[in-house]
Amino acid sequence: MKILIAVSSQEYSGSTLSVGMQVARAFNASTTIVDVGKKISEFSTKVVGMAQERMESWDFDRPGVDVLEWAFEYLAEKEFIERTDIEAGFPKNTLVHTGGNRLEVYLKGTVCEDVNLILRNGEIIPELRDEVKNHGYDVTIIGGSKKRNMAHDLVQYINSSIFVVNEFNPDQTYRILLAVDDSPGTKKAIKYGVRIAQAFNIGVDIMTVSTTDHFGDDYRNAAEWAAKLLRRSGIEYQNSFQKGNPSEIITQAAGDDHIIVMGSSTRSPLKKFFTGSKPLKVLKHCQCPTLIVQ
Amino acid sequence: MLSLSHRFVSDTLFWITRKKWLIISFFLSIILFYLPSPEGLTSEGHRTLIIVLTTLILIISESIPLPAVAILILIMQVILGVDTPDGVASSFMSDAVFFIMGSLMLAISIVHQGLDKRLALGIINISGNKTWRIVLGFVAVSAILASFIGEHTVGAMMLPVALSLIRNAGLKTDKATKLSTLLLFSIAYGCAIGSIGTPSGGGRNVIMIGYLSEFGLGDISYLKWMKYAYPMLLIEIPVAALILWFTFTPKQKIMDSAVRKLKVSVAKTGKLTGDQMMAIVVFFLVFLGWIFLSPLIGLGIVALTGVFLYLTFGLIEWKEIAHNTNWGVILLFGAAISLGIHMKETGAALWVAEKALGFLEILFQDISIVRWFFSVVLSGILTNLLSNAATVAVLGPIILDMGGNPVILGIATTIASAFSYLTIVASPTCMIIHSTGLVTSKDYLKAGWKLFLISIVLLFLVSFFYWPLLK
Repeated sequence: MKILIAVSSQEYSGSTLSVGMQVARAFNASTTIVDVGKKISEFSTKVVGMAQERMESWDFDRPGVDVLEWAFEYLAEKEFIERTDIEAGFPKNTLVHTGGNRLEVYLKGTVCEDVNLILRNGEIIPELRDEVKNHGYDVTIIGGSKKRNMAHDLVQYINSSIFVVNEFNPDQTYRILLAVDDSPGTKKAIKYGVRIAQAFNIGVDIMTVSTTDHFGDDYRNAAEWAAKLLRRSGIEYQNSFQKGNPSEIITQAAGDDHIIVMGSSTRSPLKKFFTGSKPLKVLKHCQCPTLIVQ
Repeated sequence: MLSLSHRFVSDTLFWITRKKWLIISFFLSIILFYLPSPEGLTSEGHRTLIIVLTTLILIISESIPLPAVAILILIMQVILGVDTPDGVASSFMSDAVFFIMGSLMLAISIVHQGLDKRLALGIINISGNKTWRIVLGFVAVSAILASFIGEHTVGAMMLPVALSLIRNAGLKTDKATKLSTLLLFSIAYGCAIGSIGTPSGGGRNVIMIGYLSEFGLGDISYLKWMKYAYPMLLIEIPVAALILWFTFTPKQKIMDSAVRKLKVSVAKTGKLTGDQMMAIVVFFLVFLGWIFLSPLIGLGIVALTGVFLYLTFGLIEWKEIAHNTNWGVILLFGAAISLGIHMKETGAALWVAEKALGFLEILFQDISIVRWFFSVVLSGILTNLLSNAATVAVLGPIILDMGGNPVILGIATTIASAFSYLTIVASPTCMIIHSTGLVTSKDYLKAGWKLFLISIVLLFLVSFFYWPLLK
């Protein structure tokens, strides 16, 4: 299991990092924390590189290193990395170029497998897509963004499960809203939901939404299977069946005190591109963290 | 199987959304190709303009890598029958391209010497500890140095000096303040202002000189260019410093301890090393070569001679040069100049110039001043969207075909291409200060629009009241 956590600054990414590392702990996953820095115009890449070399000679860090350093301190404080690493401090000097515009620091993890810190430069979606494509992550965790099309691009182009840590409030007690249906991806979504509920020690609301009054066998089976799994894991849960527009009902029920977990759409990419999908609609309108499991 | 085809569709969709401007320009060029040539335009000229349009779209949208744009220009010129393969090849390489290549390499060799600490000391020794004097010093030193050794070089060297002052003033270097914005823009605007001072200030100056002599419109020597352009540079220094000061007035009016700390840290570096001394001497020789030898052997060859000396004296390793030279930019400027020459040869430049003039004549009676404004404003705007050298390479042939005094119009257009104050992508120096994360794109507009307008007025005064006296 591999998890990618995208951070941008101490100011905005605090909750993304803390939620992300809790998820990583739940899955005992090998984790990579990435900061995607500013895109440098092609006219200027070399000269900006030279300026950064000069900066290093004056003992200034290249932009982005401060973000990694903050992430390192967080990892050290919560003891996510091995003590030997912590004592040595943030190993700036071991930032190695690993092709293109990607720099990397390896750290030995404790509660989860390895933790890597990487720095990339460019536009966020292409960089994350490239990272996921070449390094095979199972989950990408990222903070909420007000950028237009961001939700769409994440769902459309990032080939992994996506956890958007949207408007997370550390003082709030959350529950998981586990949306199940008859799609083939629902089983995996349920497994993820259970794991996260365990990790955060919170209850789960299983929700099955149908557009008609009739709930088919597959719908009921999925809900039952989820209930069985939760019962076995000793997690408190509630089961509900609702009729209506799934994305609207899920968004409304989630409010701001749930973490939504749902399967990704099985629609063809072309259909998704033009008409969207349930998970996309939920992601666009919800006011809470959302995990879309692929 | 299903997921495989899904993956393929998803990849294709991603490609299409990323490359939409490439696709648009492809179809646009096909449509334009099959439209009949407009009256007064040869069919070669028509096809050349298609290439120009495609190039502009691709550079602005950055949808394919710059070297790919360069290669596409060359391919299209041959395939669309604008010129023979050998013709395209010979217009691709010129002394101007030698110059751009040579000056990029000289920049690397100079930056590599680590003279920035010394530069820092020089500036604060002159300017003292008052913030406004430091700002004036930054603008002045950036401008004057950039006018000789090129804006990239100076931008890369000045950045750590500014950041170090900011750090020594007790401010964080990862959080923007008025002071950090002020100092960084003093560098960026100083370098931009300086880049027009001499031909070696920026590749575009040499491109314009190349066009003027290639088209038989006039020979401009290094010193003659300075006579035209340097006064403009000197007037702009205090103007830029004033505008920056009043736009980003910092809380710290005096930077006593910051200056002292900087002096202490720089003093540790000791005296000039032999290599540094040698590097300065070689550059000085190159400078003399530009003044005295360039009429005979060309500015580009002089720059390359400098690179040759740096390499043979072991002042820089080839590996360093090869790694830091932006080969893509060299290819692109070569291709853009080739395109410019073909715009002239096929009559495309003349046609566009006449259309523009015809349009202006409907609106205005006296065309001479309007023509000047048209060239200068267009150049100023394009430079903020493209890059200054690409602007001059493409706009140059059109401007030179607009009638009037080509030397005045040509130099004015080139100077206006230094008004790269408004956007991050306007010039490499703008990008350098942006890469620190301390300035936002809004900051560029805040001070930039004032300096942009005042610069145009100043350039107007200089070209209509000072240049005519030079004849």
